[in-house]
Amino acid sequence: MDLIANLATGFGVALTPANLGFCLLGALIGTLVGVLPGIAPITTIAILLPFTFSLPPTSSLIMLAGIFYGAQYGGSTTAILVNVPGESSAIVTCLDGHQMAKQGRAGPALAIAAIASFVAGTIATLVIATASVPMSWLALKFNAAEYFSLMVLGLTGAVVLAAGAPEKAVAMVLVGLLLGLVGIDVNTGTPRMTMDIAELGDGIGFVPIAIGLFGIAELAVTLGRPRDHSLLSFKLSNLWPSWAEIRQCIPAMLRGTVLGSVLGVLPGGGAALSSFAAYALEKKWSRHPERFGRGAIEGVAAPEAANNAGAQTSFIPLLTLGIPGNAIMALMVGAMMIQGVQPGPQVMTAQPQLFWGVIASMWLGNLMLIVLNLPMIGLWVSLLRVPYRLMFPAIVLFCCIGTYSVGNTVFDIWAMLLFGVLGVFFYKVGAEPAPFILGFILGPLMEENFRRAMYLSRGDPLVFIERPISAVLLLMSLALLVILVLPAVKKKREEVFQE
Amino acid sequence: MLTRRTTLAGLAAGTAALACSSVPAWSQNFTKQVHMIVPYGPGGTSDILARLIGPKLSAAIGQPVIVENKPSASGNIGADFVAKQAGDGHTLLITDVGTIATQPSLVKKLSFDVQKDLVPIGMVMFSPYCFAVHPSLPVSTFAELIAYDKANPGKLNVGNSGVGSIQHLLAIVIAKKYGLKWGMVPYRGGAPAVRAVVSNESNVIFNGALATMPFVKQGQLKGIAVSGDKRLPGLPDLPNFKELDMPIVEVGSWQGLLASKGTPPAMAARLNSEIKKILAMPEIANKIVELGGEVRTDTPEQFGAWIAKAIVDWGAVVKAENLQTDG
Repeated sequence: MDLIANLATGFGVALTPANLGFCLLGALIGTLVGVLPGIAPITTIAILLPFTFSLPPTSSLIMLAGIFYGAQYGGSTTAILVNVPGESSAIVTCLDGHQMAKQGRAGPALAIAAIASFVAGTIATLVIATASVPMSWLALKFNAAEYFSLMVLGLTGAVVLAAGAPEKAVAMVLVGLLLGLVGIDVNTGTPRMTMDIAELGDGIGFVPIAIGLFGIAELAVTLGRPRDHSLLSFKLSNLWPSWAEIRQCIPAMLRGTVLGSVLGVLPGGGAALSSFAAYALEKKWSRHPERFGRGAIEGVAAPEAANNAGAQTSFIPLLTLGIPGNAIMALMVGAMMIQGVQPGPQVMTAQPQLFWGVIASMWLGNLMLIVLNLPMIGLWVSLLRVPYRLMFPAIVLFCCIGTYSVGNTVFDIWAMLLFGVLGVFFYKVGAEPAPFILGFILGPLMEENFRRAMYLSRGDPLVFIERPISAVLLLMSLALLVILVLPAVKKKREEVFQE
Repeated sequence: MLTRRTTLAGLAAGTAALACSSVPAWSQNFTKQVHMIVPYGPGGTSDILARLIGPKLSAAIGQPVIVENKPSASGNIGADFVAKQAGDGHTLLITDVGTIATQPSLVKKLSFDVQKDLVPIGMVMFSPYCFAVHPSLPVSTFAELIAYDKANPGKLNVGNSGVGSIQHLLAIVIAKKYGLKWGMVPYRGGAPAVRAVVSNESNVIFNGALATMPFVKQGQLKGIAVSGDKRLPGLPDLPNFKELDMPIVEVGSWQGLLASKGTPPAMAARLNSEIKKILAMPEIANKIVELGGEVRTDTPEQFGAWIAKAIVDWGAVVKAENLQTDG
C-alpha cells in the first residue's frame, strides 16, 4: 500500500497549479522542439537551465523532464508527415509512418503514434513507481562485455529491419559501420579517416546523416515524380484509426513497451536500440512481415511505444543510482545539483516529495501530450495539402536550421546535403537506409566496448562467454542468425530439388 | 636594410604607442553584441559558467552577450573559431584552459596557436578533482592503494575521460612517481567514466569533485583524496594532494576567458576588471561554490604566464608518453 500512499504524495505535489503549469510548459516546448527537425531537446534544456535556477527544484525538474518526453512525442510528427526524423528514435517511425502518410493515412498514423506513446508512458510510469530499485541493478550489471554482446544482437537484428533482400541489408549495415568509425578513436585517441578535417574529429554527426538520408533524399525522390502536386498523392481517408486497427496494435504496443522499458534502463546506447528492436520484433512476430515498410500500422505503434517507454525508464538509473544514462540525463544531474539536490539513492527517502512528484508529473505530462496532440492531427494533416513549391523550400529551410543548431557549424549543413545525395543513390539502387543508420550508431559502440572488454580482461576473449548476461545475449544473436539463415537455406534446397 | 627595418619597427611601435595613448576611451568600449563561445556541448562547467556570467557581462558593457556552443574535438573547433575572429574584443572563449594547454603537444596539426592566436583575459574558476575507487577494493588510503597495486599488478584500472585528457595525464604522472602498474581505460567523457567505476568495470577514478562527491557520500565510491591544497568542506575526511605530496597539487578543472588575436590590451584589461567585478557578486560566487569550484582571478599577464607554464608542463608528459596524434 506504500505505492498508493507514495503516488498520492506525488500527485499532491504535481497537481499544484504551479507545477501543472510547468509540466504543461515543458510538454509544449518539448513538442515544438520535437517537431522542428534537428533542434535537439538537449540544447533546449541547456538553454533553459539558467531560467530554472530560480524555480523550486521539483518544478524545474518537472519542466525539464516534460521537454524531454514531449520531444519524443513531437519527433514522430515530422517523421510521419515528411519523412524527417528529428532523433534516432524517430527513424523507425519513418519506415511505416511515412508510407501510411503517402497512402492518405497520415491521420491514423499520427493518432496511433500518440496513443502508443501514451499507453507506453502510462505503463512506464508504473514501472518506475514500482520497480525502479530492482531494475537499477541492470544498469550496474552491464559492463563492456555485455554492451558488446548487446550490440552484436542489435546488429544481427538490423537485417530484419530491411523490407527487401537481406544481402543488401547486410551490405548497408557494413557501410554504416564503416562511416561510424570516422573520428577520433576513443581507445587510442587516434583520428581515423578524418582527412585532417577538424570537424570530423568527433565523427560524422548523427543529425546531418539522418535528416539527409531520410528527409532530403525523400524530397529529391518525390521531385523526380512530377505528377504529384502536394505531398498527398492519395485521397485523405479517415483522420482516425478504426477500432479494428487500434485493437490490432494493442499487443504491438505492449511488446514495444516491455522492450523499451528494459532497454531504457541501460545507460549509454541501450535506449538507441529500443525502437529498432521493437520494430524488428513486430516484423518477426507478424504473420505478414511483407506488410512492414509498406504502411503497417503496428510498425508505427511498436517503436513509438518502445521509444517513449525507454525515454521514461532512462530516468531510473538517474533517480536510483545518480548515474546519468545519456547526455540529457547528465544535464538533469547538473540541474539537480545546482538546485542543491544530490542525485542518488537517497533522493527517494530524503526527498520523497521531489521523487514522487516528478514521477506523477510524468504521467500527467503524458496525459497532457495526448490531449494536446490528438486535436492537432487535423491541422498537421492539412499541412500536407500545401503545394510542393511552398512546402519543399520550407522543409529544406527547417532541415538546414535544425542541422545548424546542433553544433552551430555550417559544415553540418554541407554534410546533410551530401547525405541527401547519397540517400537518393541508395533509393535508386534499392538499398534501405535504416540498416545503414543502425550500423552507424551501433558499430562504433560495439567496437569501443569490444576493445575495452578485451583490455580489461588483459586480452582474454573468454570474458564474453564467462559473464552470464553477455553469454545469453550472444546465444540470442546466434539463434536469430539461424532463424534468418534457415529459410534461405530451405529455399535453396527446394530450388535444387526442383531442378 | 637593417636600418630600414629598425626604423619601420620603431615607427610601428611609435604608432602603436600613439594609438594607445590617443584613443584609450573608445578602444575599450563595446559597440556591438558580444559572442561568448563555449567549445563544448551544453550543460558542462564551461557552459554553465558562460550562462551565469553572460547576462552580468551584458549589463556591465551595455551590449547583448550571446552564448554559443561550438562543441567537438576537445574544444579545438570552438577555440579555432575564436582564434580566427576579428581582434576587437567582441568574441570571447570560455574554456577549460588546462585542456587547451595540452592541445599543442597532443595534436600535431593544430589549426591555431594557443599563445599567438588567442589573447588571455583572465582565470575564472578552479574546481578540484576527487580521487576515488570502487568500494569493493580493500583499500581506504593512497598508501594502501599503492601497496595493493604492488601486490596485485594489473588489477587496477583508471577510468578517464579520454586519451590525453587531464585525468589521463594525471594518472600517468602519479603512476610514474609511485611505480604503479594500473591500466588506463578511456571513456567518452567524465560521466561515462564515473558510471564505469560505480559499476566496477574500471575501479579507480580522478574526476570533477562536484560530480563525484555524491557517489562517495553514498558509498557507491570510496574517496581517497581531493586535488588542490585545501580539504573539501563536503568531504572533510579526505586528505588533499598537498598533504599526500602528489606530483601535481593544483590539478583539476581550470576555467578561463580568452579573446581573439589582436584584442587591444585596454580592451583585455576592461574585460578582466568586469569579470572580476562579476565574480565578486555574491549570487555568482555562491553558484560557483555550488558548482564545486572556487573563484580564481588574476591579471591578463598572470593568466598568460599560467597558460605558458601549463603548455610546457603537460607537453613534457605528452612527449614522454608519445601521445601525440596526427589530427
